[in-house]
Amino acid sequence: MEKPLTILRVSLYHPTLGPSAFASVPPRLQHDTSPLLLGRGPDAHLQLQLPHLSRRHLSLEPYLEKGSAMLAFCLKALSRKGCVWVNGLTLRYLEQITLSTINRLSFSGIQMLVRVEEGTSLEAFVCYFHVSPSPLIYRPEAEETDEWEGISQEQPPLGSGQQTSGCLGFLHSPSQTWDSPPQPRPGGGTEIQLQREPPDSTLC
Amino acid sequence: MTSFEDADTEETITCLQMTVYHPGQLQCGIFQSIRFFNREKLPSSEVVKFGRNSNICHYTFQDKQVSRVQFSLQLFKKFNSSVLSFEIKNMSKKTNLIVDSRELGYLNKMDLPYRCMVRFGEYQFLMEKEDGESLEFFETQFILSPRSLLQENNWPPHRPIPEYGTYSLCSSQSSSPAEMDENES
Repeated sequence: MEKPLTILRVSLYHPTLGPSAFASVPPRLQHDTSPLLLGRGPDAHLQLQLPHLSRRHLSLEPYLEKGSAMLAFCLKALSRKGCVWVNGLTLRYLEQITLSTINRLSFSGIQMLVRVEEGTSLEAFVCYFHVSPSPLIYRPEAEETDEWEGISQEQPPLGSGQQTSGCLGFLHSPSQTWDSPPQPRPGGGTEIQLQREPPDSTLC
Repeated sequence: MTSFEDADTEETITCLQMTVYHPGQLQCGIFQSIRFFNREKLPSSEVVKFGRNSNICHYTFQDKQVSRVQFSLQLFKKFNSSVLSFEIKNMSKKTNLIVDSRELGYLNKMDLPYRCMVRFGEYQFLMEKEDGESLEFFETQFILSPRSLLQENNWPPHRPIPEYGTYSLCSSQSSSPAEMDENES
């Protein structure tokens, strides 16, 4: 019996180009255990025709952690000019990070949400793509405060709907819940962790 | 001004020197595809594969006991580092890759130490990395060792070797206890 494949559920959003930015993205993409290349170029496994995207922008490399039987994924930035924002961290050329179970990515105007569902097959993994009609990473409007009031540095309680300016919240995809447990991987995004939107000066 | 004076400053390049040995290297032609002593310049984003399949691998070994893709090396940049680091990954389902004393199974990977011994089967690779400034390219160089690297580099580390002569019998490699007559002191 074939072993179940590891699944990457990928949601995509582009703020200005909309769904047409992802017209060439297939709904399903199965790939072997070599690195999956994303970029504008012809050798990219996931090719996106976006002008600010590098020909080879990033790769997703499956590997096995010592002692683990499930595939892990290492995301590496391959763009010399651009960068990749991942779970609050900005990756520049050849920098890399291991993906968590849920990951927020931003690069070249693209917003991407990647959820990893573990499988036991070591032969291949599969990506399911979904184009989101709404932002996946957002920055709420700055709240006006009286000049006497300090800007709160505390994270708002979950579900309060209130955010301090400069902090990010995450819009939920239909499959997301607030009940997902925090992810143990370093640098990984958790359901309850608010992360900063990349500042304009370091837009990837 | 001459073009030399006007030219952009050259950056030094990360170099990986690989000294290889296999006991059958002279008889079997396993290294016939390798250009020894040649410095090859490669883009830093390249994933360099080693194995038997010349369509996939950058460096191939003429040996049916080598996996089609045995292992791979790739560069990455650690956060807050100005130099590039190597990562080695075992691509063989059949053979574990030994890096110094660490054993890597299929798809396991690890940072490659500056100087280390990589082994699989009877193959020995002494890997030595020299840092460079360039983030764009790196170089590789193969060297063929005429003798086993395990002895050449005292690898793994042995007991101290006496200055004169050989080990004494008392410190021999014998693993069985020496029998003594009960009357002997």
